[in-house]
Amino acid sequence: MTTESEQQSEQQPQTGPASSDPQREPRASRDFPGMGLVKGLATTFKTMTKHAHTVQYPDQPPELPPRTRGVIALLEENCTVCMLCARECPDWCIYIDSHKETAPAPPGGGRERTRNVLDRFAIDFSLCMYCGICIEVCPFDALEWSPEFEYAEFDIKELLHEKDRLREWFWTVPAPVALDPGAPDPKEMAQAQKVADKRLTAQKAAEIVALADGGAAASGQPERSGPGRSGPAGGAEGDG
Amino acid sequence: MASTAHWWLEVALRLVVILGFFLVVPLLVGQMEHKAMAHMQGRLGPMRAGGFHGWAQLIADGVKFAQKESVVPADADRLVFQLAPAVALLPYLVALVVVPIGPGTQVGVALDLGLFFVLAVMGVGVLGTLMGGWASANKYSLLGGIRTAAQLMAYELPMLLSAASVGMAAGTLSLGAIVDKWQWWWLPWQLIGAFVFFVSGLAELQRPPFDMPVADSEIIFGAYTEYTGLRFAFFLLAEYAGIVLLCLLTSVLFLGGWHGPFSAHLGWLWTVLKTLALAFVVIWLRVSYPRLREDQLQRFAWTALIPLALAQLAITGVVRVL
Amino acid sequence: MNVTTASVQFTGSAQSYLSPTGVEVAFILIGLVVLGSALLVVTVRNLVHAALWLVVCLGGIAGEYLLLGAELVAWVQILIYVGAIVVLLLFGLVLTRAPIGHTDELDVKHRAPAVVVAAGAAGVLVTVVVDAYRKVWLEPRAAVPLGTGAANGAALFKYWVLPFETLSVLLLAALVGAIVISRRGADGDSDEPESVGTD
Repeated sequence: MTTESEQQSEQQPQTGPASSDPQREPRASRDFPGMGLVKGLATTFKTMTKHAHTVQYPDQPPELPPRTRGVIALLEENCTVCMLCARECPDWCIYIDSHKETAPAPPGGGRERTRNVLDRFAIDFSLCMYCGICIEVCPFDALEWSPEFEYAEFDIKELLHEKDRLREWFWTVPAPVALDPGAPDPKEMAQAQKVADKRLTAQKAAEIVALADGGAAASGQPERSGPGRSGPAGGAEGDG
Repeated sequence: MASTAHWWLEVALRLVVILGFFLVVPLLVGQMEHKAMAHMQGRLGPMRAGGFHGWAQLIADGVKFAQKESVVPADADRLVFQLAPAVALLPYLVALVVVPIGPGTQVGVALDLGLFFVLAVMGVGVLGTLMGGWASANKYSLLGGIRTAAQLMAYELPMLLSAASVGMAAGTLSLGAIVDKWQWWWLPWQLIGAFVFFVSGLAELQRPPFDMPVADSEIIFGAYTEYTGLRFAFFLLAEYAGIVLLCLLTSVLFLGGWHGPFSAHLGWLWTVLKTLALAFVVIWLRVSYPRLREDQLQRFAWTALIPLALAQLAITGVVRVL
Repeated sequence: MNVTTASVQFTGSAQSYLSPTGVEVAFILIGLVVLGSALLVVTVRNLVHAALWLVVCLGGIAGEYLLLGAELVAWVQILIYVGAIVVLLLFGLVLTRAPIGHTDELDVKHRAPAVVVAAGAAGVLVTVVVDAYRKVWLEPRAAVPLGTGAANGAALFKYWVLPFETLSVLLLAALVGAIVISRRGADGDSDEPESVGTD
C-alpha cells in the first residue's frame, strides 16, 4: 500500500507540471510587466506594414458579390399586373397602373379573353427599404435584384424609377445560378420541352407528308417560339 | 552702426527661420499622424487633397478653418475666451527660440539657462487651455480645464526632476552645452530620465493615452469644445507645436541632439530626424493604447513617475561623484 | 524680453544699441505695468480676472529681474509663479466657485484697514531697501554674470548653504503639517461627517 501511495505521489508531481506546462508558459510571458504594452505596440506596427483595407471607391470599383442587392429591375414582359408586389410592399413605394384589353375570340371557337396591360410601373427608391419582398412575392419573376448601385441623384424626385428605367436595369441582372448536374429540369422547362417535342413530331410528320407530296418544306418558325416562352431566365440569358 | 544693423539682420533671419520651422514641422507631424494612424488601423488616410497621397490635407484644413465663422458663446467671458488660443500657442514659439538644432550657432538665442527657460515657458502654455476652459461658460469646458490643471500639476514635477538629472549630468543648464557634453553611454545612464521626461511631457500635452482633459466621449473636447474657426485651429496647432517641442527637447536632452555620423555638416538633420522619430512614437502610442482614467493618471504620476525621476537623480548623482 | 537678454549678453562690453537710460526706461515702464496690474488684481470684481492679472504682474516682475541681469531668478519666477502657482490658484478657483461676471462677495468691509496695512508694509519695505542700497550702483550689464546659473549655484551652495538648508527644513515641516491636517480630516470624516462637510 505504501509503495503504491509513494508511486502515486511520485507520479503526481511528474504529471502535474507536464500537464500544466503548456498552459503556464504563455501566462508567464503575459505576466511579465509591460508585456501587454509591447504587444499593443507590435500589433499596431504590424498592421501599419500590411496593406490597407481601404478601397478607393470612385477610382477603383468595389468588388461586390455577384448577387449584391443594388437596385430592383423589372422585366415588363413577365408582369401580369397581379399587384402582389404593390400590396406586399411595406413602404408602398410601388406604383402600378393598368388597363384591360379584350382579345377577340379565337377563330376556332371559344369566348373572347381579357388580359391586363401594364401602363405604368414605378418604384420610388427614395422610399424603398430594399427588403426584397416584392421580388420574393412575384409569381412570374418579373422583378429581380440587380447589383448596380450608382443611381444617386441630386433631386430626390429623380429616384422614382419608371418602367423604362426599371427595364433598363434588367440588362444588368446576372444569369441565374446553374442547376445541379443531373437535377430534373424546372417545371416550365419540362413543359416547354414537351410542347416543343410535340411540335417537332408534328412537323416531322408534316415533312414526311410533304415529302410524300413532293412539296416544299417550311421549317424553323414554330420551333423557335417554344423555348422563348420558357421564362425570364432564358430571356435574360439571351439578352446578356 | 553697421555692426548693429548686421546684428539686427541676423536676429531677424533667425527668427524667420524659427517661425518657418514652427509653422511647417507641426504640420508635418500632423500629416504623419493622419497617415501613420490610418495605416496602423488598416486604412489609407487622406488621399485626395493635393493629389499625391493627400499631402495637402492640412493646408486644406487650414483654409477650411479660416473660412469658418468664429463664434463666441453669449455667456462667455469674451476677452479671456478670445485671448486663450494665443496664450496657448505663443509659449511654444518662444520656447523654440532657445532650442539648438545643430552645433555651434545653429540656435535662435543661446541662453545660458536654456533648459530652465524652455520648461518655464512650456508650463505657461497650459494657462491658455485653463483660460479657454473657464471662459467658455460650458460645463464640459470647465471640466476639461480642471483636468488640464490637475494633470499639469501632477506631471510638471517629474518632468522637471528628470530634466534636472540631465542638467546634473552635464553640469550646465545650457541646452547647447548639454548636447556638446553628450556621450553615447548617457543613453543607458539617463534611460529612466528619458522615459519619465517623455511620458510626463506627453501627459502635459494631453496626448493619448493621457488625453483625459479632452476625452471626447465624456466631455466632448474639454476646454476646446466651444471654439471654432481659426481659434480652434490655433489650439490644434499648439498641440502639434507642443509635440514638436517635446520631441525636440527629448532628442536634445537625452538622445544626443545633433550627434551622429557627419554631425559637423549634417548635425541639424540628425536633430530633425530624431525629433520626427520621436513624433512617430507619440503617434504610435496614441494608436496603441486606450485612455487612462483620471485616478489612474494621478496615481501613475505620483507613485510611478516621481519615484522613478528621483531614482534617476540618485543614479546621476552617484555616477557623477564616482 | 528675449531680445533684451540677448542684447545684454551679446553686447557685454561693446557699444550697446540700448543706452543705460534705455534699460532704465524699460525698467520703469515694466514697473508701471506691474504696479497697475497689481492694483487691478485687488480691485477687479472678477475672481478669475484677478488671477489672470496676477499672471501679468508676476510676468512683469520676471521682466524686471531680467533687466537687472538676474536671469535664473527670472525664469524661476515664470516657472514657479506663473506656471505653477497661478495654475494652482486658477485650479482652486475653477474647482470651487468662479462665476463669469462680477462677484459681489469680493467687496470686503475692511477695505480701509487693508489699504493702511498694505501701504504701511510697502512703505517699510521701500524705506528699508532704499536705505540699504542707497550707495550701491549695479551696472545692469555688469550684473549679468552674477545672474547665471553657475554664479547662483556657487553663491547658494558655498555662502548660503545654511539658510538654504534651513528653508528646506521649513518646507519639509510645512509638507508634514499639510499631511497631518489632511489625515485628521480623513479621520474625522468617519466620526462626524457633517462637521467636515461644513468645514
